[in-house]
Amino acid sequence: MTAVARPIRRTLMMVILLTCGAVMVITSGAFFAYQYLTFRQLTLRNLEILGKAIAANSTAALAFDNPDDAREALSAFKAQPHVRAARLYLNDGRLIASYPDGAGEPRAAAPLQDGYRFEDGLLLGVQPVVQGERRMGTLYLEADLGEISRNVELLLAIGAAFLLISCVAAYLISQRMQRVVSGPILTLAATAQRISEQRDYAVRAERPDGHEFGQLTDAFNHMLTRIQGDQTKLQTQLSRLGLLHRITRATGERHDLPSVFRVVIRTLEGDLPLDFGCMCVFEPSAEALTVSVIGAGSAAFAPALTLAEGEQVAIDANGLARCVAGELVYEPDTRTIRFPFPQRFARAGLHALVIAPLLVEKRVFGVLVAARRAADSFSSADCEFLRQLSEHVALASHQAQLYSALQRAYDDLRQSQQAIMQQERLRALGQMASGIAHDINNAISPVALYTESLLEREPGLSERARGYLATIQTAIEDVAETVARMREFYRPREAELVLARVRCNHLIEQVINLTRARWSDQPQQRGLVIQLQTELAPDLPDIMGSEVEIRDALTNLIFNAVDAMPEGGTLTLRTRMLAGGGSGADATRQVCVEVADTGIGMDDETRRRCLEPFYTTKGERGTGLGLAMVYGMVQRHSAELEIDSAVGQGTTVRLVFAAADALTFEAVRNVRMLQPAQRLRILLVDDDPLLIKSLRDILEQDGHAVTAADGGQKGIDAFRAALTGGTPFSVVITDLGMPYVDGRKVAASVKEAAAQTPVILLTGWGKRLLAENDIPPHVDRVLSKPPRLVEVRAALTELSSAARTPVAILAGPT
Amino acid sequence: MGRMIHSATHALRRVLAVALFACGVAAAAAPVSEYQLKAVFLFNFAQFVEWPAAALPRDNAPFVIGVVGKDPFGASLDEVLRGENINRHPLAVERYPSAAAIGDCQILFIPAAEIGHLDAILSALKGKSTLTVTDADNPAVRGVIIDLVKRDNRIRLRIDLQAARAGNLTISSKLLRPAEIVGAGS
Repeated sequence: MTAVARPIRRTLMMVILLTCGAVMVITSGAFFAYQYLTFRQLTLRNLEILGKAIAANSTAALAFDNPDDAREALSAFKAQPHVRAARLYLNDGRLIASYPDGAGEPRAAAPLQDGYRFEDGLLLGVQPVVQGERRMGTLYLEADLGEISRNVELLLAIGAAFLLISCVAAYLISQRMQRVVSGPILTLAATAQRISEQRDYAVRAERPDGHEFGQLTDAFNHMLTRIQGDQTKLQTQLSRLGLLHRITRATGERHDLPSVFRVVIRTLEGDLPLDFGCMCVFEPSAEALTVSVIGAGSAAFAPALTLAEGEQVAIDANGLARCVAGELVYEPDTRTIRFPFPQRFARAGLHALVIAPLLVEKRVFGVLVAARRAADSFSSADCEFLRQLSEHVALASHQAQLYSALQRAYDDLRQSQQAIMQQERLRALGQMASGIAHDINNAISPVALYTESLLEREPGLSERARGYLATIQTAIEDVAETVARMREFYRPREAELVLARVRCNHLIEQVINLTRARWSDQPQQRGLVIQLQTELAPDLPDIMGSEVEIRDALTNLIFNAVDAMPEGGTLTLRTRMLAGGGSGADATRQVCVEVADTGIGMDDETRRRCLEPFYTTKGERGTGLGLAMVYGMVQRHSAELEIDSAVGQGTTVRLVFAAADALTFEAVRNVRMLQPAQRLRILLVDDDPLLIKSLRDILEQDGHAVTAADGGQKGIDAFRAALTGGTPFSVVITDLGMPYVDGRKVAASVKEAAAQTPVILLTGWGKRLLAENDIPPHVDRVLSKPPRLVEVRAALTELSSAARTPVAILAGPT
Repeated sequence: MGRMIHSATHALRRVLAVALFACGVAAAAAPVSEYQLKAVFLFNFAQFVEWPAAALPRDNAPFVIGVVGKDPFGASLDEVLRGENINRHPLAVERYPSAAAIGDCQILFIPAAEIGHLDAILSALKGKSTLTVTDADNPAVRGVIIDLVKRDNRIRLRIDLQAARAGNLTISSKLLRPAEIVGAGS
């Protein structure tokens, strides 16, 4: 304080004193100069008067040459001590008298000019002595300036004293008066000092009475108010910035929407602060908001607000609609708003409400709801902060969404890559399997033919033998199907689906028998027990489907169930009838087949992905194709697949098929009972002697005349020979894959020679040909190996009747 | 001194020349002749005395200094007065051989030798305002206004105020102050 005070006080006093001093010095100087000049003039005048008087008295003395008289006249100067010398000269320059006596020169040293003047520090006077008109002589006077000097000294002394007294007076007055000026300034300075020391902008300067100082103080105080406000704002902004930074960082570390929302709400509740905060996700399709996250501190309000996580909030016309349109909505007092959503807040005691949209690329995908108890408690800075925050949150959420989308895309990509690799492997496997399958099909063809033939033509067989043969037949059919499918893993099979009546209960019994080794024998070897329960509904309607595929599917399900029970358990196979979806006459009956286990169950992830191809939980043991095949079967049968599973609770897989009506079954039965009406001359072309032999035996048993040709060329030759020999064949059955001349060439040659002769192509690749719509030209029918007697008979009957070959009638056994 | 020269008349220059000469004489221990000095005195008296208007010369009539009897001045009086004037009246010297011959004059010098004829002279002047001057140096002499007295080798004045009053002349107090006054009380 003193550091500031002294200069201003001193300066003020200096100003006053210097002003006073200068004024007085100038005034005194002028006065002094006037006095001095006046005094000189006066002295001159005095001397002149004196000189004239003396001169007038000296005329007679000069006229009559009377030195005594002259001296007497001059002696009058005794009364004038400053007159140092006086001399009377005659006109001829002779000195007649001098004063003081005897002093001075007898004659005038130089002719002197009349008049009075200052010369060499002396006052000189040359006064003519005139009587009447006649000049008698000259009076010479010499006076010193002592009197002037004394006067000057006196004046100086008085002036100095006056100056001193004035300065003292000015000092005393100024010391008192300067307080009027310096006082308020010092008060202001002290206030400023205190503020800068304490950094407390709430301090205010006391207002003095003086108008301008009052204004100054008012301005100062006003400035302080502004600074205080600005400082408060700045600090608020800083803390907001820090908050924003924390939230941004926190959200940046999170990649899923709920956790981003949760951290935002938690931080806002604690630091803004909020009484209530929640995040909602906007669903444009539903025209509603879904509450995603409610802050932990806000949960107390949730019941009063009737808001809960996952709940939907209808968008009312006022605030929410505007917010969803991308506007930040601020309701200073919810009690005054007559819309349902703000009213809820008003009822919950939250009177100030801000709803900020979460905007990404101009699209609102959610809203941030912030509320406080006190009405009007959100400042514009708060709103601005929430608006900015919502932008950040929107960005973070968007990033989280992008991140998860990216993650999904990456997972998909990885899966696709794996799938492609798997497919590539399977394609190679399939090609290999195709060759193997061909050979297996050829190999089992005799077995199939003979078994079917035995069952049909040997009535003398024992029941047991007949049962065995039936099992062999089923097994052979399954082998054929399995082999066929083995090479077809990588291609869709819709086209080859042949629907037939399937008795589910019967099928399940078959499957139980087929898989016994798996659910009974193998676990027993490891000391485990898997109990098998069957709950089969009686009078179950048949379903339409591929028995083989359904059997495969059930087998797969049983395998999975067994695998799911590494510690043993209960395997339940269940069939029942469901009422179906429709009603009245349209009501469709449904058949439900369930495979249930008491195993480890599946978690959500596994449950969700279990139907994906190549998805497996069994590591190297599993192909990841089991359930995928089941699902494929279900789709092809227009059936439904339901999976109930919980970890540790076991899994139930439910297949729901539409029930078949009774008529279809009869039609199929007729086909089965079809018998060939005619005896035909048949040319059989194959490179496999076993197949030739077995097929020939069977066909001959049916009464046909069969000529076998070992290879394509031989077959063509035989056909041509028979044609030219007048005994043409009514039907040609040829293998497709043969060395040198294959089935296609054989067919072409046959059609070339006799266009109306039907050609049946028999192939281990038959299903593939069918699937690819790749039936070669000149071929009337394609049959796959191993040939089923039923199919062969049907084809022969159909083709021969269509061809109406007269030759066929004439033909006889060879 | 230049200004003095300007205003100085021809006569004054002459006086000055005489004075310088006298000075030179005085410096050479040769005093100025007595009558030369007395001639200057005669002239100077005109400066200190006031005549009644009737006694002054009319118009361009000369201001007359008369010498009665034998003239002791020789040429010096004429020399002193040559070219001078008093109140624009030219100066003239008139010499009267006897009292009877005395005419109108403003100043009449009565040489000491003529003092024996004083009564006649005075009677001749009766009723006239004439400044009478003598160098008789005799206190017994009465009726003459100014007597030139020798004291300590200097010429001093003795003024008979009674006579002056009788002649109706006013004598300047300046002249009176250093002078010896007689007839004041009467």
